[in-house]
Amino acid sequence: MSAPAPARVPPPWAAIVAIGLNTFREAIRDRILYLLLVFALVVIGASRLLSLLTVGSEDKIIKDLGLSAISIFGVMTAGFMGVSLVFKEIERRTVYTLLANPVRRWQFVTGKFAGLLSVLVLNVTLMYAALAVLLWIRGEQPLALAPAVLLTGVELAVVTAFALLFSSLTNPILAAVWTFAVYVTGHLVWSVRLLGERLPPGFARGTCEALYWLLPNLDRMNVRAEVVHGIALPDGFLAVSALYGASYTVVVLALASLALERKDFA
Amino acid sequence: MHRLAAWVLVAAAVASTAVSGLVAERMAAGRDEARSLLYLPNGKHLRTISLGHAPLLADFVYLWAIQFYSDYDREERFQYVEHVFSDVIAELDPRFVDAYWLGAMILIVEAGRLDDGLALLERGFERNPDQWILPYLAGWEAWMARQPARAAEYFRQASAVPGAPVLTRRMQAGMLRRAGDERTALGLWRELLEDPASDEASRAIASRKVRELEGTVLLAGVREAVERYRSETGALPRSLEALAQRGYLSAVPRDPSGRPFHYDPRTGRVAPPSGRVLGGDE
Repeated sequence: MSAPAPARVPPPWAAIVAIGLNTFREAIRDRILYLLLVFALVVIGASRLLSLLTVGSEDKIIKDLGLSAISIFGVMTAGFMGVSLVFKEIERRTVYTLLANPVRRWQFVTGKFAGLLSVLVLNVTLMYAALAVLLWIRGEQPLALAPAVLLTGVELAVVTAFALLFSSLTNPILAAVWTFAVYVTGHLVWSVRLLGERLPPGFARGTCEALYWLLPNLDRMNVRAEVVHGIALPDGFLAVSALYGASYTVVVLALASLALERKDFA
Repeated sequence: MHRLAAWVLVAAAVASTAVSGLVAERMAAGRDEARSLLYLPNGKHLRTISLGHAPLLADFVYLWAIQFYSDYDREERFQYVEHVFSDVIAELDPRFVDAYWLGAMILIVEAGRLDDGLALLERGFERNPDQWILPYLAGWEAWMARQPARAAEYFRQASAVPGAPVLTRRMQAGMLRRAGDERTALGLWRELLEDPASDEASRAIASRKVRELEGTVLLAGVREAVERYRSETGALPRSLEALAQRGYLSAVPRDPSGRPFHYDPRTGRVAPPSGRVLGGDE
């Protein structure tokens, strides 16, 4: 009598891919790509309007507007979709079915993140393509803007990770408020250090310095002004900033997994 | 009945909105709108609340400023120009070069405030030391105001920027001559003539200018020697040859074409061979 064949254990990435694909399809079904239409209309409409309103600087303003619109639309998508991702699964009780399968909670979080990030990457790429076509028609070099778009993508990954973390902890409204607070703080983190510098050495100053390093510094992923004005970035800045954002994202995702581990879905 | 009352209420609200809106519009027309510009927050503060989108905010203020300063019916429209272009736009996006020159043009050309406009261009150049166009424009405006020495200094700053066109050095040399510093101008034209980076047109211009200025500088030197002789001996020299023999000149002077200068021993007047000052047609 031969021994029964051992059950085939799927690799850990299989669950992540399945959850990610499902999240991606769901987002597309939510007509998220309509945002792209709004973006194209904003940028093209602005370029037509600018010739009437401005004295010179048309290309500069189109680039500023395009890059800022990519960032703002991206953050809105990441925030609004991210905050409801986990909460919706719990509300609909689909998470119970899902976690009844051999799916670890970190795989669930990673899958959700991967799915939403794919949507954001698609969004950002298409928005950049629309901007690039417009600039190319005007005889400008759109490739010069690529570093800013790339770092915007990294910034969106950090914001998405926070949205997922807060989605695992609380309801969508509070999670949206917290995510927005992180976005604002991330762009004002320099002021914490400034405050520390004005304080006498001691506990308060140390706290400010610690907060400066602990909080996400989203300005490190903002090179829009530099690429628009053609200012060279320091050697390796792009790679280091991308690494900083990616590492920060992993830490926040780990916290989100931990928060979910503590939830009782039994 | 209730329905009718509701409709009457809505109609009254619509009418009240329209009337009060129109009255408010008329009242607002009499206000000094320029004064509100003073309360436009400094760009440093706006940058803080822009959350990383300061250049876009600078664009919006720039577009708005163009519309504001294009309204020629607006009284006191030239108040706070520096505040809008320098304190707000330039603080939001210090590399926004167009904002400096547009603000400066409004100040200089329309408001007639040369010093304020030049100060704005200087501020722009401080923040953008790679933009030769800013001191170049300042040079042009100083020249238009008939201040060649000031213009020469701006063109010197422009020419010192790596990658600045040869035109900036030509302008500097031209302004130096107009300011009366012909020797320095001659040195600059010689540099331009010998510089391998100079284009063909610049070299041709430099060649003509060197020839003209050499004659002018030489003539000025001879006149100085005659004057020195007169002040030391109390009499005029008999001839330019005698002046050279007494050591007031290193040699008997000739113009760049090799022709001798005209000298009148009765008046002490020295003139170029043609009777005209070389380069005087410029």
